[in-house]
Amino acid sequence: MNNTGKWNSLYRVITPSSHFRKLFRDSLLNESFTMAAYCCMNVKSFLLSLILLFTPSSAVGRDEFTEELMIKPLSGGFVYSHFQFTTKWNASIHDSKTFTHFHLFPKSLGEVLKQYGVQELHLSQTQGLWRHKLWGYPVHDAPPGAELWVWFKPSVKDVNSAWTDLVNAVSGLFCSSLNFLDSKSTVIPRRNFQPLGVTSGPVPRYSVRYGALPKEIVCTENLTPWKKLLPCDSKAGLSTLFNAFLFHDANYHSLGLHIRPVCADESCTEEAIELTQSLSVVTDVISTSLIGSPNWQLKSLFGNHLASYCPLATKSLIMVDITSNKNDTLFKLTPEPSITHTVFRGQQEHSYATYDVRSMLQSGRAINVGLTYSNNQKLIEATPPPIHAHRFITGHGLEDGGVSCLISNTMPTNQTISYMDVLPWFTRVKFSSLQVTNNGVNVPYKTFYLPAKDRVRPHQLELTFTLWAKSVTKVHFTFTRAFLKWTEYPPDAHHGFHIGAASITANIPSSLEYTAPGQTSSQLSSIFTKKPSDDNPRFFLRIHTETLLVSLPTPDFSMPYNVICLTCTVVAIAFGSIHNLTTRRFIQLDPLKKKGLLSKLKALVAKLRGGQPETKPTSETQQDSVSDKKTEDLVDEGEERS
Amino acid sequence: MAAIGAYLSGILGLALRILLMQTSFPKWLQTRNEVVTPVTAWDRVEEGFSLQKEFVSPYSGDLLHETPLALRFLKTAYYVPFGVKGFFIMIDFFTMMLLYKIAALFKDSLIREQNIEKKKYSSKAEKLVLTPEEVSFLPTLILTVHAVNPFSIMTLLAMSTASLSNLVTLAALYYFLKGNQLMCTLFLAVSTYQTFYPVIFIVPAALQFYLLKEKEVNYKYESSKSYWSKEAITSYLQTVGLFLFFVTFLLGISYLYLEGSLDFIYSTYGFVLTVPDLTPNVGVFWYFFTEMFDHFRTFFVCVFQLNAVIYTVPLTVKLAKTPFFLLYILLFLTSIFKSYPSYADAALYTSLLPLWRHTFSYFRNSLFVGGMYICCMVLAPILYHLWIFAGSANANFYFAITLTYSTAQIFLVTDLLFAYLRRDYDLYNGTEHKNVDGTKAAIVLE
Repeated sequence: MNNTGKWNSLYRVITPSSHFRKLFRDSLLNESFTMAAYCCMNVKSFLLSLILLFTPSSAVGRDEFTEELMIKPLSGGFVYSHFQFTTKWNASIHDSKTFTHFHLFPKSLGEVLKQYGVQELHLSQTQGLWRHKLWGYPVHDAPPGAELWVWFKPSVKDVNSAWTDLVNAVSGLFCSSLNFLDSKSTVIPRRNFQPLGVTSGPVPRYSVRYGALPKEIVCTENLTPWKKLLPCDSKAGLSTLFNAFLFHDANYHSLGLHIRPVCADESCTEEAIELTQSLSVVTDVISTSLIGSPNWQLKSLFGNHLASYCPLATKSLIMVDITSNKNDTLFKLTPEPSITHTVFRGQQEHSYATYDVRSMLQSGRAINVGLTYSNNQKLIEATPPPIHAHRFITGHGLEDGGVSCLISNTMPTNQTISYMDVLPWFTRVKFSSLQVTNNGVNVPYKTFYLPAKDRVRPHQLELTFTLWAKSVTKVHFTFTRAFLKWTEYPPDAHHGFHIGAASITANIPSSLEYTAPGQTSSQLSSIFTKKPSDDNPRFFLRIHTETLLVSLPTPDFSMPYNVICLTCTVVAIAFGSIHNLTTRRFIQLDPLKKKGLLSKLKALVAKLRGGQPETKPTSETQQDSVSDKKTEDLVDEGEERS
Repeated sequence: MAAIGAYLSGILGLALRILLMQTSFPKWLQTRNEVVTPVTAWDRVEEGFSLQKEFVSPYSGDLLHETPLALRFLKTAYYVPFGVKGFFIMIDFFTMMLLYKIAALFKDSLIREQNIEKKKYSSKAEKLVLTPEEVSFLPTLILTVHAVNPFSIMTLLAMSTASLSNLVTLAALYYFLKGNQLMCTLFLAVSTYQTFYPVIFIVPAALQFYLLKEKEVNYKYESSKSYWSKEAITSYLQTVGLFLFFVTFLLGISYLYLEGSLDFIYSTYGFVLTVPDLTPNVGVFWYFFTEMFDHFRTFFVCVFQLNAVIYTVPLTVKLAKTPFFLLYILLFLTSIFKSYPSYADAALYTSLLPLWRHTFSYFRNSLFVGGMYICCMVLAPILYHLWIFAGSANANFYFAITLTYSTAQIFLVTDLLFAYLRRDYDLYNGTEHKNVDGTKAAIVLE
């Protein structure tokens, strides 16, 4: 982040009066942006903007759609398929006239963006857990459940209400329960979650909102509205491979939607809106295949081969990551790829077999890309990625507990990371117990901590610290479980409560197991084009840890009436006794003159027997006076004292 | 002789506490809901310190409910010899000193007031009249009771910050008996600032200072003036005015200390009054509001909070002549009915209970109440363990115990009130009650 600041000031010195003040906020700008780009923004760009200003705003025809599928064979016979649909619309998100004419960009989404002043929006809906240690990094990392984070335009005054309205709109758009993202699960990240797109000038820190629903279940009802946003729906192109049955049977699947402003071209004189829709699936090929074979084809993965391309797409690509296939010994692809790209990203070499869907289909063949291992016993081995994490709950019982996160750095260099953890209010975090240790040694850290308010906001913990080379760093803190009201528990109270994933953000120097494209463009094919800044790049990385499940102590749900009655009785005992003692006074009374009910009855019985009612045998009277106690409120017993 | 006994029990009490501090017992007690509440837990104070170190307002979260000045004062605990433990031992030492002095003052005032009233007593109440010898051991007794009082030992070992508020309350009681209006209202204000409920103690204080003034003027206890005379009202206003001045002063200082933030008001008094934290404790609030229907919650919070203070009205009418007893009963009742009570509150009233030793013979169910107390103290941790750790019991078990504990306390306080009033009756009417025909008469409430 310091890096950004430096660039920022440098840039201001160079072009103090420039019309376009755009820069990438993230420190990935080494890779994405060059000095040249900054210097080019001069008089020419100013003129261009003037021209633009007087041109009638017409957004039609200025957007470009690409569809891509990246398949990466993983260790243990798993296959990662990442569908990505990118719409780049050469219009400014800040221009109010932009969202009046739509072409390829979905109108329903555009209206939402316009209505709530959204600058950047990142949504993911995920089922299952991405296992970084075995699978490396996905293109878009997503935590289990739903996650939404949004940067609003600086012009939005009341961000809180815009956020509340937006989550409801998005929740309606994608048939999800995002409307449950209230203040209790929303935070304003201070160090993490910087804008990923270009920004004009500095952005106010409070314009960002982050919320996650770890318990959200993702199913076909979310897939259907999501794919309706695609220009070709699922009628043509790569989206014809969507098979809800197979997706939801997979070990992991994630729906993503990312909107951000980007540069329209290299010189960054104009803004564009980039909409990226992605669908990631990890399939366990061995256990889904009938014969236990690790080999796969499009047909076995998605139930169909590819017979069409989206005519609206400028590019339709299938890429297979064959980096692990050193010297073609491990497996073989069928059919032969159109072209094989080998690129160096940092120190690491990546190879991609690429199939140009359009040209292949035009030559009249349906595409069924397949992979066959040379030896079914010798599969890809897992390479632990540079940084991976494991988070878990410690402690026993329902009183106190702890959260530990083990973050491994497998690189031979130190790496600074940002850690963000959001915990619900009912796990009362003890900030004083926070420890960051590496092999028993305390690691210095910078922190931002906002404690929770009961039933209002969650705990927000952001840490920045350095992971030492080839070591495991442990973040640990304890919490106390709160006791909730009986109405605050979900119907399955004993199941426990979900806690969202922690996120780790870093700019790593290694692209080992790294799959995402650079910062300038989300198109996967942009990996192949080498940029001048690629000599010593850093790769923007955000990973999410596991979500957690904590049990809270529960009351007995069946007896509210009993509790109310019993407690009120006890209070009434006190009230009654004190009322008696303070509003009445002691008097001397002949126990015989004012008879109790019992002695009256006795007298009656005696009368009925025909005998004379006993007047005063002393022993009897004593007894009576004792039994009278029930009807007379308080009878002296201290009498016997003397 | 008495002084030696007092020193001995004081030293024994401190030795016992220091000894127990070395064991693992305090660590366990610090997690016990009966001993520490969210308001008084020491680890929450530490949390406040660590937040302050990070320049985060300790009141921005919902963990700390200590008042700003108390928090500032508690910081000195680290600079006391032997650290925090030494600090709490020191507080207990001061508590002992105050208890001793209170008992000494009380015994004198008891004899003094008896002498004034004596001529009105029945001739048949000779047995009840206290002699100076009879009460001379009171300070030593109080100290001994405090030294072995399990409630105060547990409060100290758990490092509950209620020790501090108890000390302040005791200081108020001391100046109350001493007749120092300025210091008494000051300490009452501090006590109110700390825990809010002592606000009702201003009623007995106002009465006390009026009666003392009257006594000075008339040289007689029997005042011809009513409680609503002009002098009386002026005196009340003076006491209340002083009290309000001190409270405002303390709040103002806190406001300035927090650099113009009033967050602490919600975190301290708001917390005590609205009961948002339903952590189990020995009071009647927690399970009641856990199981409460949401739309009745506000109503019942009002009712229960009112219940904690409403007794001031009838008791004041009844006990206007004896403000100290009134104060004690109010202290007892708020300990039962406050929103976050703990053994620390019980520690205060049980240590002071022997002051009313002369009424003990009128108690009706001391054995029963004693048994209830012991049962609750033994069973509470066991049932909590079964619920939270073993999972073999549910919340109702612990609730039953806390309810029993509240009932035991209610029995004790009403018993004391009864015994006091009954003895009072006997003082004026003699101890033997005979009907006209010579048979034994019963004394009933009418």
